This record gives sequence, C-alpha cells and structure tokens, in this order.
Amino acid sequence: MHAKGKSSRIRKIKTNPVDQCIQVIIYIMILALCAVILLPCVNILALSFNDGGDAARGGVWFWPRVFTLANYKEVFADGSITRAYGITLARTLIGTFCSLTVTVLAGFALMDKGLPGRRILSMLITFTMLFGGGTIPTYIQYNNLHLLDSFWVYVVPGLVSVTYLMMVRTFFEGIPSSLVESAQLDGCGFFKILWKIILPLSKPVLAVIGLYTAVGHWNDWFAGAFYMTSSKLWPVQTVLQQMLSRAMAAESGEDLAQMTASQAIAKAANMVTSDSLKMAAVVITTVPILCVYPFVQKYFAKGAMIGAVKG
Amino acid sequence: MKTASGKKARMSSGKKKSWKVLLRHYWPLYIMLIPCVVYYAVICYVPMAGNVLAFKDYSFRKGIWGSDWVGLKYFKTFFHSYDCWRLIRNTFAIGFIKTILEFPFALILALMLNEIRNMKFKKISQTITYLPHFLSTVIVVTMLQRVLAPNIGILNQIIKIFGGEGSTYYLMESNYFYRILFLMDIWRGIGWGSIIYLSAISGVDPELYEAAELDGCGKLKKMWHITIPGIQGTVGLLFIMGIGGIFSSGYDQIWLLRTPGNMALADTLDTYVVRIGLQGGQFGYASAIGLIQGIVGLVMVVVCNTISKKMTEVSLW
Repeated sequence: MHAKGKSSRIRKIKTNPVDQCIQVIIYIMILALCAVILLPCVNILALSFNDGGDAARGGVWFWPRVFTLANYKEVFADGSITRAYGITLARTLIGTFCSLTVTVLAGFALMDKGLPGRRILSMLITFTMLFGGGTIPTYIQYNNLHLLDSFWVYVVPGLVSVTYLMMVRTFFEGIPSSLVESAQLDGCGFFKILWKIILPLSKPVLAVIGLYTAVGHWNDWFAGAFYMTSSKLWPVQTVLQQMLSRAMAAESGEDLAQMTASQAIAKAANMVTSDSLKMAAVVITTVPILCVYPFVQKYFAKGAMIGAVKG
Repeated sequence: MKTASGKKARMSSGKKKSWKVLLRHYWPLYIMLIPCVVYYAVICYVPMAGNVLAFKDYSFRKGIWGSDWVGLKYFKTFFHSYDCWRLIRNTFAIGFIKTILEFPFALILALMLNEIRNMKFKKISQTITYLPHFLSTVIVVTMLQRVLAPNIGILNQIIKIFGGEGSTYYLMESNYFYRILFLMDIWRGIGWGSIIYLSAISGVDPELYEAAELDGCGKLKKMWHITIPGIQGTVGLLFIMGIGGIFSSGYDQIWLLRTPGNMALADTLDTYVVRIGLQGGQFGYASAIGLIQGIVGLVMVVVCNTISKKMTEVSLW
C-alpha cells in the first residue's frame, strides 16, 4: 500500500499541480499544529527546571535560563504531594483492576445472545448514557452509601462505563464462536471459557480500556475536591487543583481586606508556591502517563474501531 | 456470530425452555452480571429516581423519600431569578461551541492525515496530536495560566516581540473567555477526535478511489465525493451523540477556568449546580436545575436521532 501510494504520487506530480499544492499545504498545517501542541509543553518543561525567582522575570522560552533541580527537590520534599502521589497510584491500580474485572464479566455475559433478559439489561445500561441522576441526587446517594470521605469514592462511582462495556462486548462477539462452541462441547463451563479462551484473545481491548480507565483515574480531581473533605486522602490532581485555584484567587487582585482569614492565608501560601514549583509538579504528574503512552498507542486505532462499530 | 445465534435458535426452537432449564444453563452468566447490575442499580438508577428531589424540600434527617413535597417551587424560583437567563445563555453558548463549532476540526485533521503518504511523518504527527488528550484538565489549565500570564507568559512575550504591549491577562478578561475555551478544546481534543474518523476512512473501499483516479479526479474531488460520503454514517452518529451536550458545559474545565474576571460568561448551569448544591447545600434547588438540564439533553438526543433516522437512516438505536 505504501509503495502504491508513492507511485501514484509520482504520477500525479506530473499531472496535477493543484494536488501537489494541497499536499504541501497539508504538511505545513500539520507541522504548525504539532508545533502549537508541543511548544507550550516545552515551555513548561523549561520553566520547571528554571530557578523560580528568575522565571518570575519572564523571558524563559524553551530552555531553562538558570538551571536548577530545586523545584523538583522541593516538590518531593513536600509531604502532602508525595502522599497524594501514593493515593493517586493506589486508586489508579485498584480502580482499573476493579473496573476491568466487572466490565469483562458483564461483557462476557451480555455477549451470549440466548441469555434471557439480555436485551432489556442492555437497554437499561445504555439508557444511563442518555439520562442520569443529577449531581445532587448522586452526591446524596454516595453519602447514603458512606462513600464520602472514604477511599472507595475514587473507585466505585466509575466502576463500569457503558462505552467500555459495549467495546468489550463487541470485541468478544468478534471472537470466532466456533472456539467457544467447541469448548462447550468439551464440557467447559462459562467461567472456564472466559478465562481460557476469551481473555487470552482479548489483550488489545483490555489494553485500550485499561489505559483509558487508568488515565481517567490518574487525571481525576473532582472526586477529591468535592467528595473528600479530608485533604489527607486527596489525589495529586486535587492537590494541584487547589494550588491552581489559590493562584487564580490570589492573582485576581481581590482586596485583602475583603478576604476571609483562610483566603488570606491561602494567598500568603501561594506567594511561596512559585510558578516553577507548580510546573515541576505538573511535569511529575504527567510523566507517568507519557511513559505508558507509547506502549499502548498501537492499540488506539483498534480501540476506536471497536467503539465505532456500536456507538 | 451467525453460528452462535443459529445454535441458540436451535436450542430455543421446538418448545420454549422452562425457566428452570434456562437457569441451570445460564446461572454462571447471571453471577457474572451481578456486580455490573448492582453498580447500575445503586450508582445510576437510584440517583435517577432521586431526581424527585427537585420537587422536594430536602431535609437531611428525613432523606430524599421522606422530605416534604414543594411542587414546582424551585422551578418557579429559578425562572424568576436574576441569574436564570444569564446562566441559560452561558450554558447554551458553551454547549454550542463544544458540540457544533468544535465538531468539524477533528474530521478535518483526519482528512488531512489521510492524505499524508510519508508514514513516518504521519505516525509522529499522530503521536504528538494524541498527546494532549492524556493531560488532565487541571494540568492543562495550570499550563494555560502560565502560558497566558501577563508579561511573563510566552504568548505575551511573543506579542511583545512584535511590538505589542504584552500585558493582557487573558484569563481575567471575559472577552477572551470563549476563545480560550475553544482553543483549549481544539488543542486537547483534535488529535484524539481524529482517530475514529481515520479508522472510518480506512474502511472506505479503495477501488472507489482508483476508479475516481482513472476518471481524473484530484485530491479534493476524491475527498468530497468518496471519503466524506463514505464516512458520513460515523460523522452523523458522533454528531447525534454529541448534540445531547448542547445544554451543558461540563463542570470539569469551566470550573477551573472560572476567574473573577470572566465570571459573567463562565458561570453556567453546571457550575451553578455544583456551587449552590455541593458547596451551598441547597439540594432541592440545585437538583431542579440539574433535572432541567438532564431532560433537555435527553430530548435533544431523541429529537435529533428521530430526525436523522427519517432523513438519513443514521440512528443510534
């Protein structure tokens, strides 16, 4: 296909200058897009390695001017951030594992076309995509379940996602049913079929959904900010979010006299949290995702394909 | 697939199997379904029923079901309130940006990527454009705050190089709010959104392109007459799924982008619900507003789906 594309391009260069022009424009636009995406990231990276006081003068572009590792040292020295890291790691691992387990089990069960009640269950599950309990009834339900202020508020609410469930089911349905049938004839029960036949063939879909779920956990700040009063159990994104909103409040030029005591303290704390320090925290928080990313990237297209088959 | 359903047909043909026989065969599957069913019942359907809170004066002691009915009081209060139309307008504006204005960009990127024959370039640019999708909203807004900072942010530095003042505090000025929102979404989502279109494009029959080439069609013509019609089903489905969001702004991003400066535009129903409900404790009132949004979203999806089904046979169900 590659070679064919090349040969047809060569032919067209001779015949069609308009196409050649379009090709050049497309290359330029994509290059520009990549630059716009990468440059801010590089800037942040440079800032995180730059001395905080120096960075405040401005003029740091894509390379640190006064190189230092102090920002990173300070971030790691901050007990609240390292603890938040632990929480994030724990919720990502536990949450992803639980989600995958429940999703795989349900996806396998819903795959069987003969299962009585399958249609109605699928409909009820899909309906939750269109309509749901609002923020407040959900909050009250979490409270009734004693999820608030507990670690499990990170895990339980996002346990199953309709999209991922349908992706898993669609993928399972694509596995040749002759495999399943011959196993059934050999007297394998459903659990054994799932474990011995379906799962080993499902690595791509598990990788994709596992990654999506893990990233969702890693990046979530909302649960920590609103369902968790004690900052001891905050994940790192919530800690960053608090830093951010403090900074926004402090920079908005609100009159100090009008601030409550706690706001004033927050403002004072923000003066210490220099931008460079924050950028170091941003980098550390993002790096783990970027480390996993290349390994799973090859599955993305596949995942999108599975998702596209059934919306 | 066919054999599986065929087998089931054989199994259920003849006489209808009694429940006992079915249960003896299928019980392991029902056990597998238990966690999922419990999850949807407890986490999704109970709060859905809890929407009746919109008609009740919530008392913590009595719970949702025991609280007193107040009828449509909250709805009346809301529609008569000073904030009402501002919030609705803001929500619609953001919903419109997110579901309509931003919609074509991922498609355009996919069409462009599809034209690239240099596989290495394609792969690298895909890797780069997918990347921002994996950054959390908190991270992106923190970066944004620094990149757009007055004087020291790189955007203002660039403006200074070109002779501008370079002291604009973009996040604090409401007239930049929609632009920031829009560009942030494109920055984050364009690459990721293109994946699904790319995979749809790869499903278009290559013979069609060859035939068009023989007829002397250029790139643009092929794109317009073959690629786009070939993927219009996918485009339609994604659009219908997205349209339900036209009356919501999402709170994740808006909550973080809100500053005292842009509050006039950044205060939407979603953030309002969080603010007065979760932070202010007005549970009934906040539920009423949430319910309005939920119903509008549902109606939008159903209406668009019906129209689309009639006109193009593209349908979610």
